[in-house]
Amino acid sequence: MANRIVVDPITRIEGHLRVEVEIKDGKIVDAYSSGTMVRGLELILKDRDPRDAWAFTERVCGVCTTVHALASVRTVENALGIVIPPNAELIRNLMFAAQYMQDHVVHFYHLHAFDWVDVISALNADPAETSKIAQSISKWPKSSPGYFSDLKKRLTSFVDSGQLGIFANGYWGHKAYKLPPEVNLLAVAHYLEALEWQKEIVKVHTIFGGKNPHPNYLVGGVPCSINIDDSNALNAERLALVQKLFEDAKTFVEQVYVPDLIAIAGFYKSDWAAIGGGLENYMAYGDLPTNGINDISSFKFPRGVVVGRNLNELHEVDGGDPDQIKEYIKHSWYEYSDGDDAGHHPWEGETNLNYTGPKPPYDQLNVEEKYSWMKTPRWKGLPMEVGPLARLLVGYAAGSEEIKEVVTEGLGALGAPVGALFSTLGRTAARGLETKLVANWGLEFFNQLMANIKNGNTSTFNNEKWDPNTWPEEAKGVGFTEAPRGALSHWIKIKNKKIDNYQLVVPSTWNASPRDPNNQMSAYESSLIGTPIEDPENPLEILRTIHSFDPCISCAVH
Amino acid sequence: MEQNILKLDPKLKLVYVWQQPVRIFHWVNALAVLMLCITGYLIGAPLAIQHGTEASFNYWFGIIRAIHFIAGYVFFFNFIFRLYWGFVGNEYSKWDNYVPYKKKQWKGIWEVLKVDIFQLKLGPYETIGHNSLASTTYFMTFIAFIFQSLTGFGLYAAMSPSWFPKLFSWFVPLVGGDMAARHLHHLLMWVFILFAMIHIYLVFYHDYIERNGVTSSMIGGWKFIEVNEDEDKMNED
Amino acid sequence: MNNKRPTIYEEFKAKGYSRREFVTFCSLMGAWLGLEVSGVSQVAKALEAKSRPPIIWLHFQECTCCSESFIRSSHPLVADIILDKISLDYTETLMAAAGHQAEKSLHDTMTNYKGEYILMVEGSIPTKEDGVYCCIGGKTAYDIMQEVAEGAKAIIAWGSCATNGCVQAAAPNPTGAAPVGKVIHGKPIINVPGCPPIAEVMAGVVVHLLAFDRIPALDSQNRPKSFYSRRVHDTCYRRPNYDAGLFVETFDDENAKKGYCLYKMGCKGPNTYNACGVIRWNNGVSFPIQSGHPCIGCSENNFWDNGPFYEHLKSFPGFGIESTADKVGLGLGIATGAALGAHAVATNIRKRKLIIKGRKEIEAESSND
Ligand code: HEM
Ligand code: HEM
Ligand code: NFV
Ligand code: SF4
Ligand code: SF4
Ligand code: F3S
Ligand SMILES: [Mg+2]
Repeated sequence: MANRIVVDPITRIEGHLRVEVEIKDGKIVDAYSSGTMVRGLELILKDRDPRDAWAFTERVCGVCTTVHALASVRTVENALGIVIPPNAELIRNLMFAAQYMQDHVVHFYHLHAFDWVDVISALNADPAETSKIAQSISKWPKSSPGYFSDLKKRLTSFVDSGQLGIFANGYWGHKAYKLPPEVNLLAVAHYLEALEWQKEIVKVHTIFGGKNPHPNYLVGGVPCSINIDDSNALNAERLALVQKLFEDAKTFVEQVYVPDLIAIAGFYKSDWAAIGGGLENYMAYGDLPTNGINDISSFKFPRGVVVGRNLNELHEVDGGDPDQIKEYIKHSWYEYSDGDDAGHHPWEGETNLNYTGPKPPYDQLNVEEKYSWMKTPRWKGLPMEVGPLARLLVGYAAGSEEIKEVVTEGLGALGAPVGALFSTLGRTAARGLETKLVANWGLEFFNQLMANIKNGNTSTFNNEKWDPNTWPEEAKGVGFTEAPRGALSHWIKIKNKKIDNYQLVVPSTWNASPRDPNNQMSAYESSLIGTPIEDPENPLEILRTIHSFDPCISCAVH
Repeated sequence: MEQNILKLDPKLKLVYVWQQPVRIFHWVNALAVLMLCITGYLIGAPLAIQHGTEASFNYWFGIIRAIHFIAGYVFFFNFIFRLYWGFVGNEYSKWDNYVPYKKKQWKGIWEVLKVDIFQLKLGPYETIGHNSLASTTYFMTFIAFIFQSLTGFGLYAAMSPSWFPKLFSWFVPLVGGDMAARHLHHLLMWVFILFAMIHIYLVFYHDYIERNGVTSSMIGGWKFIEVNEDEDKMNED
Repeated sequence: MNNKRPTIYEEFKAKGYSRREFVTFCSLMGAWLGLEVSGVSQVAKALEAKSRPPIIWLHFQECTCCSESFIRSSHPLVADIILDKISLDYTETLMAAAGHQAEKSLHDTMTNYKGEYILMVEGSIPTKEDGVYCCIGGKTAYDIMQEVAEGAKAIIAWGSCATNGCVQAAAPNPTGAAPVGKVIHGKPIINVPGCPPIAEVMAGVVVHLLAFDRIPALDSQNRPKSFYSRRVHDTCYRRPNYDAGLFVETFDDENAKKGYCLYKMGCKGPNTYNACGVIRWNNGVSFPIQSGHPCIGCSENNFWDNGPFYEHLKSFPGFGIESTADKVGLGLGIATGAALGAHAVATNIRKRKLIIKGRKEIEAESSND
């Protein structure tokens, strides 16, 4: 007999996500993912100045802050035919790289780690042993026995206080935890170090965009000017700080994040490299242009679609094709002017809130009907997984040498076949591996920026189309980016210098959406099918797979 | 000359309408508003003066603002004085000329609209002080003066060390914050500009049509008023 | 429930710190808060005597950037705050427990610490359609807010969402998003606006509560005076350029490269109360203006509808994005001028009629003679 369990709130994510699953014979046989909060940003954007849109859309999410701003300025630039100066492209790339490192590290330690790491078990660790393990996997200096024994003391006194704070009521002691106490202690140490570190790398945003979260962007370039002979603009001091931040970040990623990831994955690969694969289609829009946004072949992350896990063939993504990307609302709390079965290309997108779910307080959603605030995006009618794994697979299929190398190296370190990537663990590993790439690229971009400045090129903004009087009466555009969680696109129609329609099609929407009119599941739901649940009262396994996507529901619904 | 005209038209008599304090108020006010509009406009849209020098050698924008604030004080206290005069001054400057709370005043407004603005009707209507429409307009202008002072000093509270503007700081949150107050303040400038355009035009117009010396009345205080049987009637009801 | 709650000093001792180190810590914190020496001993005393106050942090219609900002705090470090200073019993972003276990954490704190816990709120509360626009565990945000506020000692409303509704409350506010102050009455509410607020400001408010065991001095909008009493414009290092009338005319022009004032790029610093100019962001690295972008007024009520961001004044409702008060005013001025001109012409026609009529009267009179 099937048994419904509900996890709501799913915590250690961004936003309000609810998962309902049916369990039969200890395994999940059906799953429903629901976004339970909506704000209506697409409605709010109507009639505003397109140059302001970045600020509104940036507030879609403070966790992947900047990515919506980036997508938005690109969208407006696309609509108006603005080409930004190379320095602006590089600065945007630097901000992109900083975002990846911060977001991925925080995800791994602060949002995902407790699915694999038992904090309470760390209390039984032998600090000397932890120190040995730490030194064997990395040359990170904070690894003395004294360091870990101090930490253990701090943790013990914290637990003894009886006020467990954020650790209260975790799944501690669950049979699915497999790390020895020493590795758990190591992970807790790095949880705290990562918390301290992440606030450093975001200073890249502060330098270029004035603050983080929510740095400033600008249609036509970037707001910060370069003037190496003045103290009020980017000069040698500011640039030296950027360089240091990237160098320190690279060290942290290489000496803490990736070694921890490999070490922890080693304990779980026997089962979790085969659980949670889900969909077989992967999509990436690609990003990090090295020769302008219009030269897709110059992207560090390539663009394309992999269908049926066939890495020998890469399909093209065409945003302008009205039949490729469409959003459906069959199971979403919206209505379309042409009925529930229709799909809308984002330029023709409609956002009409229409709640038909159960009256709160409720115990179960009516999953046969509409059950989420997320729309359901499809590419040529197919569900797609997007995110770090999709990026690496698309990059692999596109033949990117750098991506192939890091994937091969990572799999080698784990001693796992390529097939292991199509899993919960694969998704989590892909995130770490791409962070390593991005850490290197960040320094590359930095060096290019320095070279440009040295050659006297300091322009960061293109003023030609700033004045709305230079705009056409009507225009439409699309902006693509790879957000940390995957393929992100914004779509705009401009009329009379105002926004006529603005639509966001967001990575977590691709992954977390409800079923489409053909009843196809999206990535979250499909990846849960078949997952063994040891103890339905403590469904740790659900969190593992869901967290492997790094959900962001304020993004997904907006 | 004047003697001559007076003799030629025995229907005109001279009336002392505007006492000196009202006249002083008027011209101080007109001057202050002019200054405030000029400096205010510049505060909203500063000129693009590109100095080659450093900030520490320049202060022109600071000076524009200082003039605005000084003129603001003059404007405000001058206005307060006029309010006071509304209680102690002569019958033409009394407050009840301005507040349209009597039916007669509303009737008068319609009358003036018909004659002056829509020109539906020929021939004069009778007033000695302001006509009903004018007084109502002045009343609304006075209200606008109050709002301009509230928003002006409300905004000024944030940038002035003095206690006086602080008395107005309660008003700003009431209209929705500094941004809204500033918007309102800026909009009111246009209200004054439009008022002044129409006002000055109408003053000359009345001189032209009614030859009653209204323009110079704000200088000398005297107006020429036609002696008319209806006049007493109008003052009665 | 375990009632053994060591004080903050005891926890310091347990971690192996000496009393001297503890006092040093307190004076550092005091110095950072700008306290006199007597104030420092007050901090030390306060922290010595207290166990970690329980905190419930609720998440509603938000983008979670307030949480993100909070974890960026450099002084105190956020790890030190959540491990040593407070007991963060519920926050969906960081807590280990999920689902029923998370709800249990919430209810444990609500019952065991009734009247004692501090409630922190991030996000706005939708009020249209009975609140269905934000549900957690099947309950509406509105109901959860009422229930949890009931036993709270004080409420901190984080960020613009919780203090003024922020972006989702911008016109046409499709979900009826309302800030905490609009749905909760009769509880002390500390508003900490900003989109998001500066990390150190958030931490500072928490430290203030803990160290002095009282709510910081608040202004008329319930914002802590210590961080919101002055405009960005008043502490902006570009201010001398403003006074000197040196302005950036377009982004990245010569003036921008020299760091002139961003007023003509639409800077809302003159209308925005926040500490960006003094505390700056991310441990003092920069703030929007320093990095070349005008302030968009992110800590002000209704700032989303005060746009467009690159105009000095907001656009005139109903006249399109480019219509400023000046454009509308000038238009009306021209129209008025034209109307007066037309009126003058009409007047002359009328006057001619009067003159003709007068002549006729005179003629008639003279013929009567
Ligand atoms: C007829 C009366 C007045 C007019 C037409 C006027 C006009 C203006 C205008 C157009 C602005 C620029 C607003 C903007 O675009 O930002 C302004 C700013 C200002 N006005 Fe006035 N104003 C008047 C009276 C006053 C008074 C009585 C005060 C009181 C002190 C005052 C104080 C201010 C202040 C503080 C500002 C902002 C200046 C700044 O931010 O540096 N104004 N005014
Ligand atoms: C060349 C410029 C001006 C001239 C010739 C002028 C003339 C006059 C005259 C003749 C009156 C009396 C009208 C009547 O009897 O109904 C008057 C009243 C008035 N004027 Fe002006 N004016 C001028 C500019 C202004 C300006 C710039 C303002 C300010 C916005 C202003 C504000 C007023 C007010 C408020 C009154 C009513 C005075 C009271 O009842 O105390 N005037 N003006
Ligand atoms: N999904 C999503 Fe985002 C990301 N990454 C944005 O586009 O998280 Ni807040
Ligand atoms: S106040 Fe702004 S920054 Fe904070 S949650 Fe709301 S939208 Fe995000
Ligand atoms: S940049 Fe903005 S805050 Fe700074 S002085 Fe200029 S107007 Fe004021
Ligand atoms: S936009 Fe916000 S961050 Fe500060 S400078 Fe302005 S208040
Ligand atoms: Mg959308």
